[in-house]
Formats: sequence, structure tokens, C-alpha cells
Amino acid sequence: MDTVMHLLQFTDSTFPVGTFSFSNGLETAAYERVVHDARTLEEYTRAVAMQAAFSDGVAALLAHRAALTGDYEAVVKTDRQIMLFKMNDEARMMLQRMGKKLAELGIRLFPGNELIARWLKDIEAGITPGSYPVAQGIVFALAGLNEEQLYASHQYGVINMVLSAALRCVRVSHYDTQESLFRLSAEVPALYERARTMTFEDMNSFVPQMDIMASLHEKGNMRMFMN
Amino acid sequence: MERYYSDSPKVDFDHAPEMAPYLEQPDAMYVGCPGKHGYLNLGFELDADGKSIMRELDRRAPLIVQQELYFDEAMPEMPCVYILSSGGPNVDGDRYVQNFTVHKNAFAHISTGAATKLAEMRRNYSGMIQKIVLEEGAYLEYLPEPVIPCRHTRFICDTEITAHPTASLVYSEVYMGGRKYYNDGEMFEFDILSVTTRGQRPDGEQLFREKFIIDPRRGGLRLTGVMDSYDVFANVVVVAPPESADIIYESTEPFIDREKHLAAGITHLPNGAGLLYKVLGTEPGPVKALVREFASGVRQAVKGRPLPKEFPWR
Repeated sequence: MDTVMHLLQFTDSTFPVGTFSFSNGLETAAYERVVHDARTLEEYTRAVAMQAAFSDGVAALLAHRAALTGDYEAVVKTDRQIMLFKMNDEARMMLQRMGKKLAELGIRLFPGNELIARWLKDIEAGITPGSYPVAQGIVFALAGLNEEQLYASHQYGVINMVLSAALRCVRVSHYDTQESLFRLSAEVPALYERARTMTFEDMNSFVPQMDIMASLHEKGNMRMFMN
Repeated sequence: MERYYSDSPKVDFDHAPEMAPYLEQPDAMYVGCPGKHGYLNLGFELDADGKSIMRELDRRAPLIVQQELYFDEAMPEMPCVYILSSGGPNVDGDRYVQNFTVHKNAFAHISTGAATKLAEMRRNYSGMIQKIVLEEGAYLEYLPEPVIPCRHTRFICDTEITAHPTASLVYSEVYMGGRKYYNDGEMFEFDILSVTTRGQRPDGEQLFREKFIIDPRRGGLRLTGVMDSYDVFANVVVVAPPESADIIYESTEPFIDREKHLAAGITHLPNGAGLLYKVLGTEPGPVKALVREFASGVRQAVKGRPLPKEFPWR
């Protein structure tokens, strides 16, 4: 039961990493009326989830495996590879800010652990970027959580981040977002089945409309959320 | 039966998981047989008078390049090359290699003579490897005509860009959803498109890696956030030193135009490598026009001159 308790803690919205204050371009999509009701919100969230599933989600799994075997070089390699894949300043900033925060928390939760201490030191020295999926992979490994739990928590975080933000900028109710969350959660096992065999070469993402939203947001002035 | 390949470079994507369902040998001509394994090596450099010329040209059917022409009115010193294919569309089991090298301070413009049609495929896939090398101060415009995938097309492409920190590149890819006006219309009925673009410095330092797999059968293409109701997608990679990239970024406005059903966005590539410009539209014409306008801005920032107006027949 203690691992489930850890899983709940690391997935909870009060976990002080800030996942829940980023909106993945949703704010712009809502402003531009691309997302305007429960149906378009669910579609947009599904697109965000699919994108994360085969990029950040894969990086989290690879970092988890590296941490379990104590392969520090593989941790750093994963960290660098996921940053090569991030095509947007805000996405890179968000990933690094959250990653570093989680690493700082990690050395308190796992005092004396050399791997996470070394990783945080290298983040501060600019040797490794310190991305969030890699931080998640390490922390879950240290807490004794398995990779299915990690993947579930990762995808839940992504989906819930968008749906929670939507309550503040899209005309939807809690009922709508909870229904979407329930449906989208049910799709995660199938995504995991594909993601779990992927390597760096296989990471992929195709969300052009979302990329354009992120660009509008980056160059625009309105800003309700950090991203 | 054992097949003997010629000396053409090997193009093999059989290890890519997304191509796993498509490894059967074609019924007719086998994978990579003569006529289905084209390569193209183009090298541009400055001659003794400082003129940029195409010094290296090595090709194998079905790819054809004849010679560089100097028809660019805004930049008459620009060698321009159109790549043609004697084979018509890409077919199942064909393989291509395209290597473009722009030597120190040289420059070039490369395009294709017409849209690249990816034929209907029944066995195997069509694959292409591109290597683009840009030496110190080099500048390349690679703006091919759109790619049109047909029903059951399988296409995979890997592009490796090696750029000196002072070199610049604008490389556009325009993808149609399909043969929109063929019979009752064919949209996203291809089997798979897998496109990877990687950037690195000459010393091997990795800069960026973009990979998209469009697999219509898995669904999700029409989702809000993906293609929504758009039919054409353009991806433009700009590799440029930060001084030029900043000018281009500042002068490019992302937008969504509901009336024309067009949208465009710009972002920075990782590691200060350059920019990425994306366009969505319903017809290729307006998308191509936007890409050309953007490429003109790149030329303006790097070479101080715009692109001329596109020929009316293009």
C-alpha cells in the first residue's frame, strides 16, 4: 500500500512542481475559439495526451529504467535527447523549471541517494538540462514505483493539467471535464503498450495546430497561465 | 533468391517499428533494383572568380538533375537546380539518397520540377535519406514542390543537416492530405508518412531532432490540435546564426485566418540552431505562397535580398 500512497502523492495536484499551472497552449486555443466546448476540449486534450505519450512519456520510461540500474550516463543521455525534441521555448522552459523543482524535492525525499544528488548538481552546473520526465523517472524509481505506475501518473498529469486549466478559460463544467478525464484515462494503457518499446529514435509527435497555438501564445500578450 | 545490389548507397528503414507492417517484397521489381534506387550528389562551391557554381553532380535514375541555371531575377548570381524524376511517382520498394553539400561561402537554390507524387502502394514502402552539409558561411534554399501521398502510400524520410554555426538553410516540406479532387476525393487515406529531420554541428554536437509519424488508420488526425479541418501542412526548418534568426523571428507574425482558413506559427529550434515555421491550410496554393513569403524573409535576413515572384506556372 505504501507505493500506492507514493503514487497518489506524486500525481496529486498539490505536489509542488507546478504541472498544474501550465496550460499547453489551451488559453490561446480558447481565445481563438478553436476550443470552445466540451467536445473540442476533449479532442484538444486527447491531442496533448497523444503528443506526450510518445515523447515525454517515453523519456520518463527510459529515465526510470536507467535509474533502476544506476546507469547515470543513460539518465543524462535521456535528458539531452528529450530537449532536442522540444520545438518551442516555452515548452523547454516549462520542462526544465519543473524538472529542477522535482529534483530539489527529490533530494529531500531520498536523502543520501547519490544518483539524484549528482543529477541536481549537474543541472545546476549546466551539464544536463534537468527535464521533468527524467526527474519523474528517477523519483518513481527511487520510491519503488514501477514503470506502468510512472506512465499512468505522467499521462494523468498531462491530461489533468489541460482539463483543470479549461475550467478557467473554456465554457465547460466540472462534470464535462471529469467525464473527459475518465474517458481519456481509459485510453492510456493502449498508449503505454506502444510507448514501452520505443527508443529515442522512435519518439514522435504530430500536433501542428497545437504548435501554432503555442507560437501565438509565445508571441502574444495575453497570459493567464505560465504557458 | 539472392539479390545483388549495385554500388548505390543502402537505404534501409526496415528496422523502424512504424514500417514493420510493410516489409514484403514488391511483386514486380524488387526493392532497390536499378531504376528504383536513385541517388543524387550535388556540390556547390565558389569558383576562382567567386561565382557560386554546381561543381559536383552525380546522379542515378530515376533522379535527374541537368545543370544549374541562373534565372533568379532578385539574385542573378544564385545557381538554381530543379530535381526531376524520370520514374514519375515514388512507388513501393523504391529508395532514394539525396546529398547536398554547399561549400564555404557558396550558395544555391534547389527545388523540384513538380509535386512529388507518392503512388498507391501494395507491398513494401518508399524510403529516402537526405544529407545536407553546409560549410562556413554557406547558404542553401531547398524549397521543393508539395508531396502528395495517395491511398495506401507508405513513405519514410530521414534528413540529416550538418551546419557550421555561420551557415544558413531554409528547407520547406509541404504535405497534402492526399489527392483531394481525385474521384470523390482522397484525404488521409495513405498508410503512413514518417518524417525525421535532425540537425547537428560539424563536430557532431546534436542540435535538434524532429520526428512526426502520420498514421491515419490510428485515427486522431482530425482532432482539434492536430489537423482539425485543415488539409495541407507545411513544415519549414531554418538553420541560421542567431543574428539572422532573431530578425526572421521578429518579422514573422503567427496568425489564424478564419476566412481564408489558414494558420501559421513560428518557434525557435533548440540549442540556438534556428527556427521552425509551420503552416496549415486547405489548398496548396495559399500554403505555398506563405512558405515562399517566409523563405523570402530568410533570404532577406541572410543575403539582404528577397526571393523573386514565383513563376506563374508553378
